[in-house]
Amino acid sequence: MEMVHARPVTLIQVAGLRKVFRKPEKAPGLRGSLRHLLQRRFSEHVAVDGIDLSVAQGEAVAYVGPNGAGKSTTVKMLSGILVPTAGQVLVDGLVPYRARVENARRVGVVFGQRTQLWWDLPVRDSLELLRDMHGLGAARYRETLARLDDVLGLADLLPVVARKLSLGQRMRADLAAALLHEPRIVYLDEPTIGLDIAVKDRVRSFVRRLVADGTTVMLTTHDLADIEDICRRIVIIDAGRVVYDGDLQSVKDTHVRERSMSFELAAGLPGVDRIAARLPGAQVRAGSDDRELTVTFDRMTLGAREVLAAVLAEAEIVDMHIDEPAIETVVRKVYAGQLRPEPDGGVDRETVS
Amino acid sequence: MVAEARRALWLYRRLLGAQVRATLQYEADFWIMSLSAVLVQAVGVVFLWAIFRSIPEINGWQFWEVVLIYALVVVAEGLSVLVAQGAWTLAVTVNFGQLDAMLLRPYPPVLQVLSSAVGMNGLGNLVLGTGLLIAAVRHVDVSWNVGRVALGLLLVVAAAGVKIGLNLLTNCAAFWLRSPYSMFAFSMHSFGELARFPVTIYGLGVRITLTVVLPYAFMSFFPAAAVLAHGPARWLGLLTPVVAIYCLWIGTTVFRYGLSRYESSGH
Repeated sequence: MEMVHARPVTLIQVAGLRKVFRKPEKAPGLRGSLRHLLQRRFSEHVAVDGIDLSVAQGEAVAYVGPNGAGKSTTVKMLSGILVPTAGQVLVDGLVPYRARVENARRVGVVFGQRTQLWWDLPVRDSLELLRDMHGLGAARYRETLARLDDVLGLADLLPVVARKLSLGQRMRADLAAALLHEPRIVYLDEPTIGLDIAVKDRVRSFVRRLVADGTTVMLTTHDLADIEDICRRIVIIDAGRVVYDGDLQSVKDTHVRERSMSFELAAGLPGVDRIAARLPGAQVRAGSDDRELTVTFDRMTLGAREVLAAVLAEAEIVDMHIDEPAIETVVRKVYAGQLRPEPDGGVDRETVS
Repeated sequence: MVAEARRALWLYRRLLGAQVRATLQYEADFWIMSLSAVLVQAVGVVFLWAIFRSIPEINGWQFWEVVLIYALVVVAEGLSVLVAQGAWTLAVTVNFGQLDAMLLRPYPPVLQVLSSAVGMNGLGNLVLGTGLLIAAVRHVDVSWNVGRVALGLLLVVAAAGVKIGLNLLTNCAAFWLRSPYSMFAFSMHSFGELARFPVTIYGLGVRITLTVVLPYAFMSFFPAAAVLAHGPARWLGLLTPVVAIYCLWIGTTVFRYGLSRYESSGH
C-alpha cells in the first residue's frame, strides 16, 4: 500500500513584493509649503523592498519588525487594500487587489489601531450588516456569534454604539466582526496594542484557539509575548526586507540569550564586586541609587535561580523583576548579526530593555 | 446576474437604512438640516422672483418655466443627497485611511462609499421641490397627459443619476489631492448651479462645459426643456437617462482608478 502524504497547501505566496510611496518634499513651515505649491518635488519612500514569503495552510506566522519596517504595508497588500508597486501576491489563489470582494469573503483582518465597525451604530448592527454582506444564514450567524461570545464576551457590548466602547471592548468587537464569516486566513495587525493585561490574555488565548482550529494566522506585533505561545515561525523584517524567516525557538536561542534581572535591596551595597564574583560571565551594575542592582546574563549559561541565589547571599531583596527583551532588540540583533558575520561581534553592549 | 443585482440593491438599502438610524441619533441635527435646506432653496426662489420683477422673460423663458427648471434641480439634488450623499465623504474617507475597512468587506467599495452617508436635508429639498414643481406645473402652458407625466418622472430620476455620477467623479479628486476637504468637488458643484437658469444665456464656453465636460445642465435645464417641449434643447433633454448612465459609469471608472492610487495611512 502506498502512503499518501498530504502536502501542505500554500495559501499565501508572495514574490518580489515592493511598495513605494511618493512623499512631497517640503521645507518646514508655511514658506516651505507655499514653495512646494510652485516647485513640486517628491521623494520616494520604499516601504516594502522585495519581500518573498510563502505561508502554508494552518500555519501561524509572526511578522515582526521595528516601527516603519513595512509590516502594516505588507499586510495591507496581502489583504487587498494597497496595490503593490511591483511583485506578485497570491492569496488562496486570488490576487487580492484585483478580486477584492471575493478575497474579502476568505480573509479576516484586524487592525489594532483602527476599528472596522460602523462608528455611529451599535455593535449588533455592525455585525448584522456584515452578516448580510457575507450572506450568512440566520442559523450559522447565531451559531458563530454564540461561539465568539463564549470567548470574547460580547453580550454586554452588542447594544453599545461603537464610538462609546473602551479600547479593550472595541478590540473584542473588532475581532468578532473580522471573524464572523469564519475566514480561512486571518491577518492580525497589532491586535494587543494599548490593551491591559487581562484583555491581552483574552485576545491571545482567542488567537491560540483560532490556530488550533486550523486557521492560517499572520500576526504582526511589537510584543514578543504575543507570539511566544501562538506562533512557531517568525518572519523578521527591517527597512522593508526580510532579515530572518524561520523557527521562533532558534531565534530566541541565538539572539534572545541575554536576560536581565533588576533588584531593589533593603540596604545600600558598598559595591557589586562580591556579587559579580559569584556570577562569572554576568554583568552586574549598580543602579542610580546604591539600593538598585541589575544583573545581565546569558540565559543559556546561567539560570535566574542562580542569579537570585547569588544576590540573596550578599544582600536582602525587597523587590525584583525579570525583563524580557523587546522585539526591537531581537530585530536589531538579528540585523546586526547579518551584517557582521562574527558571532556576538558588536552586540554585547546592546542594552536590554 | 439579476439575482446578484437585486442583492446588491437590497444591501445598498440596508446600508442606507443603517445610516438613517445613525443620523437619527442626533434629532436636533435632523431638524436643523432639513429646515436649512428649505431656507437655502427658498432664498433661490426669492432671487428668481426678484429678477423676473424687472425683466419679464429670460431668453424666451417665463418666470414659471424657470421655476420648473429650479424645482427639478431641487428635487434631483434632494434625491441625490438622500441616496448617495456618501460621495461627499470621500475626501475624509480617503485621506484619513478610512477606506481600509470598506476594502475588506465583500461589497463593491464604490457602493459602500455612496451609501456611507444620508443627507437628511434631502427631505427638506424634496418637500420644497415638490411644492415648487406643483406650483410651476399649474402655471406653465403645457398640456399634461400620462405620457408627459411619466417622462417627467423618468427625467427627474435620471437627473438625480446625473448628479450622483458627477458628485462621485468630482469627489474622486480626493485620490489625487491629499486634503481632507472636498473643495474641488464643491467648487464644481457651485459651477453646476449655473444650470439652474436656461443655459442659452451663457457664452459658448460655459454652455459646452455644462453640456459636455461636466454635464450639470442635464440635471436641470435640458430635462426641463424636454418636459416643457420648449426650444431645441428639448431633444437633448430626452438624452438625460443616457447621460446619467454615462456619468455614473465615468464616476465609477475614475473611482476604480483612484483606488489603485490609494495609500491608506500610517505605514
